[in-house]
Amino acid sequence: MFKYQYFRAKSIEEVCRTLKEYGEKGRIVAGGTDIMVQIREKDPRWREMECLIDISFLEKELRYIEEEQDHIRIGALATHTDLERSGVIRRHAAFLGEAAASVGSPQIRNRGTLGGSICNASPAADPLTPLVAMDAEAVIQGEKGERKVRLVNFYVGKGKIDLRADEFLKEFFVPKVPEKAVSRFGKLGRRKALAISRLNVSVVLEAEQGKIVFARIAPGCIFATPDRVRAAEDILIGKSPSEELFQAAGEAVSAEMIARTGVRWSTEYKKPAVEGIVAETLLKAAEKVVSCS
Amino acid sequence: MKYHEIHQSKPRIDGVEKVTGKALYAGDLYMDGMLYAGVLRSPHASARVVKIHTEKARALEGVEAVVTFADMKKTKSWAGYMYLTDHIRYVGDCVAMVAAQSKALVDDALEAIEVEYEKLPGVYTIEDALAEGAPLVHPQYQNNIFSDSYYPIRKGDIEKGFEQAEVIIEREYRTQYIEHSYIEPEAALAFPDPNSGIMTVYASAQNPFFTRRYISDVLGVPLNKVRMVQAVLGGSFGGKEEGVGLVAARAAYLSHLTQKPVKMVFSREDSFLESSKRHPFRLRYKVGVMKNGRIVAFEGEQVDNCGAYNNQTQFMNSRASIHSSGPYEIEHIKTDTYGVFTNNIHAGAMRGYSSPSLIFGQEQMMDEIAEALGMDEVEFRRINCLKDGSITTTGVPVEHVLLEEIMDRTVEETDYVRKHAEYKKQTDPYKRKGIGMAICYRGCGLGAESPDASGCMIIANEDGSVSITSGLAENGQGLKTAYAQVAAEALGVHYEDVQFPQIDSFAIADSGMTVASRGTVMGAQSVRKAGEKLKRIMIQNAIELRSLPLEGSGLSYDRITVDDVELKGARFFLKKHPEIWVGFSAVTGTAIWAGKQMAAYEWYAPEALNQDHHTGQGKAFPTFSYACVIAEVEVDRRTGYVDVQKVTASHDVGTAINPALIKGQIYGGIVMGQGYGVMEDVAPRKGNPGCRNFDSYILPTSMDAPEMKVNLFESQDPAGTYGAKSIGEPATEAVGAAIANAVYNATGRRIRQNPCDLESVLLGKKLR
Repeated sequence: MFKYQYFRAKSIEEVCRTLKEYGEKGRIVAGGTDIMVQIREKDPRWREMECLIDISFLEKELRYIEEEQDHIRIGALATHTDLERSGVIRRHAAFLGEAAASVGSPQIRNRGTLGGSICNASPAADPLTPLVAMDAEAVIQGEKGERKVRLVNFYVGKGKIDLRADEFLKEFFVPKVPEKAVSRFGKLGRRKALAISRLNVSVVLEAEQGKIVFARIAPGCIFATPDRVRAAEDILIGKSPSEELFQAAGEAVSAEMIARTGVRWSTEYKKPAVEGIVAETLLKAAEKVVSCS
Repeated sequence: MKYHEIHQSKPRIDGVEKVTGKALYAGDLYMDGMLYAGVLRSPHASARVVKIHTEKARALEGVEAVVTFADMKKTKSWAGYMYLTDHIRYVGDCVAMVAAQSKALVDDALEAIEVEYEKLPGVYTIEDALAEGAPLVHPQYQNNIFSDSYYPIRKGDIEKGFEQAEVIIEREYRTQYIEHSYIEPEAALAFPDPNSGIMTVYASAQNPFFTRRYISDVLGVPLNKVRMVQAVLGGSFGGKEEGVGLVAARAAYLSHLTQKPVKMVFSREDSFLESSKRHPFRLRYKVGVMKNGRIVAFEGEQVDNCGAYNNQTQFMNSRASIHSSGPYEIEHIKTDTYGVFTNNIHAGAMRGYSSPSLIFGQEQMMDEIAEALGMDEVEFRRINCLKDGSITTTGVPVEHVLLEEIMDRTVEETDYVRKHAEYKKQTDPYKRKGIGMAICYRGCGLGAESPDASGCMIIANEDGSVSITSGLAENGQGLKTAYAQVAAEALGVHYEDVQFPQIDSFAIADSGMTVASRGTVMGAQSVRKAGEKLKRIMIQNAIELRSLPLEGSGLSYDRITVDDVELKGARFFLKKHPEIWVGFSAVTGTAIWAGKQMAAYEWYAPEALNQDHHTGQGKAFPTFSYACVIAEVEVDRRTGYVDVQKVTASHDVGTAINPALIKGQIYGGIVMGQGYGVMEDVAPRKGNPGCRNFDSYILPTSMDAPEMKVNLFESQDPAGTYGAKSIGEPATEAVGAAIANAVYNATGRRIRQNPCDLESVLLGKKLR
């Protein structure tokens, strides 16, 4: 059984100070839906951990969803349920709400936070793909102040994130989905609830006079570190939405998957399935785009 | 109304404490000074322990016992597998166990034990095990064939049958290991009585008397030195038989050693690693048919993977052989059923006891044959299925067969024929609907497998309340409720006045195991008998005590006999003068002070059945239940996702003792069958279970449950208690097969290896 100190932080300063004190041997806990499970499983990552620093009582400082001119600011402690129910999210990043609503069970969504989901750094994290699709940034708080990092650069290898010993993830800075665009989240699990994504994808589409003018495609689960697939997005621009076009975009995503991770034992399945889920999600978005315009 | 207390949906006798969270399960029990216990398992599937170092663990303060196979006199359990062992036959074999003052200390002590293993070659698949020169899991079983589990069926002349056949079709199907997935993991609390030396154990035991054998075995004491109490059970489905024997015995051993109460509660990982799984089967069929649709020859080989130790495979294969050619009348049959040992987790009893696997093969085979003949698969089944007077696989006639009626009505209700034809012509590139059917039958109770006898005690208390206890146990299926209803019906009191406490081995005699869906159909016969006997005793008491108010009626006690008086609805009354009555409690209240007998114990043993072991011919079961299940699915052709949208299940239940509980069983059975059919798979790789907890072992959630339509059919078969038939296992056994047939209807892709998971449905094969 792992043995470690538990520290409940009462301020952001305390979080940074304690993190610095323990260095690599300190770890943040918020909702605990990932790390408590990993500790029970004796995950080697936490074998040397000496202190678990609980930030979940800093609700006033870290639990919010706020709308600004072109952006939404989301505190690290916003839960999946918060995202699912937020009007701001529904209006300006609907797919983030969709993705959050697809996570786990109500109990997990009530406890699990967006900050925790991102810092757990699983390539299958559902809320990760809408954030990546919108080029979101993470606001990192350190002892000496804040820094901003693009989410795609926040991941520095499979399961690894760019945080120094005294830093923690404080906020997300998410550009709004363009007003006339439609965003959708698609997911494939082995069942309808409590399913870790086998594949997932976030897409955004905007059309003018029947032609796509704005497209974003960010697949999950298939890359070591998350990213948009620009080659797939480019295929769409200037074209009329069609099943064939979306299939081509799906194929561009699978080609990117193979280019980045090679052919594996699971590729035989993942290739057609990722093409299918990308095409299907684009189609769902297009149905709305057409009906809007 | 024919019945007063049965044949109606009485609320569960144990419902309130369960839904309010008040029920205490074995894991909820605490005692002063209690120790916690845990086991250390091998990470290897086939190995020998070279050395084991326990000094560090023993040195930890608060660790009160560290036991290895070397310290234990008797390492082999009552059933043939190991409490502890140095000869590792599967990932999960235990090499040491520990008792300590806290759970954390148990964990630390287990981590502190160092074990040196010498890895040995192993066998994992049926093919591995049967290969020439394969390493033997048990040296006494040549070619790893578990010869005691071999059951043949020889009916007619198979050669002649194939000569006659106009079309011959051969197929192979395979099924997977699945986990029972009960909510409560295995748990036991054992404590010694310093005065009597009696060891008391509360355990999550499906079969308390079976568990008692293990405790007596491990302690080397007679059975009367063991008091076994069944704790409230959080699900079992066949999984808490041998497995809980091991847990209870280990806790008792440690308790005896330390002379303190010891509690052993399995983690979910422990439960996955040690609890038996459903046997995977390899089913090979060769079937000869006439062009008119008549099946004339059926040859089958059913091989099951028993894993490392025998866990009832010989009993299960008896049932598997009896049901090996399905609910069809076929003149020439030759089937062979046997198990093989491998270095996997042992397979054992699980709801269905081979039937879900067999039906997965058989009912797809029927669809495949019908298609090959260009015949409608409903008509094909109608031609061949069992009817009144049909001769079964074991060569005896059956009566009261509702199968054809159940099938036809279910087909009609679901609009099967139209949908099945239309779905074949779908053109939507992405989503395809499918509908599939399966029919089945099931021998009720233990049949010829072993004696189906049981006993029950009924006590009338002085206040008119009634207590019953039986040798068969509540497993969550509703046995206590059904028994209380049967007791009330037979005795003539109200169900609400009957209580049924937890089973205590000091309070009632062993009645064998609560298995084989035998509880209500056969086991409750002893309840009925005891109730009927006590009824006569109580009527006699009422007469002798002159309790009925005869004043002014002109009648005299001198001329009233037991046969003149009825006891019903907790009232004694004269059959000819129902207005002359006295309440049940008035009689019990007087009888207690008059020294009258107010209890009865009765034993019921059904007619002996006899099958020839060399041919399997003979009467195998007192009666059969029949069912038809139709599944409707939508398949995503881009991902292979099978959405089970509706399941219609029609079952012959004989007499519905408690319709609400029956429906509950069937709803649960459908979802369990859905899991088996589309997602569940323990997936051991080289003996290493792919899944050890519910994060990776995927079973259906409430969000996945399909729309369910249940139809209960009743029949006039006298074999079971008040005509009741089995339902616990029939509820789940045909669902997987119906889903597989529906997937074929939707996609044109035959999934011959269960389950119909994403990869199989999209690619037509398992990914690895």
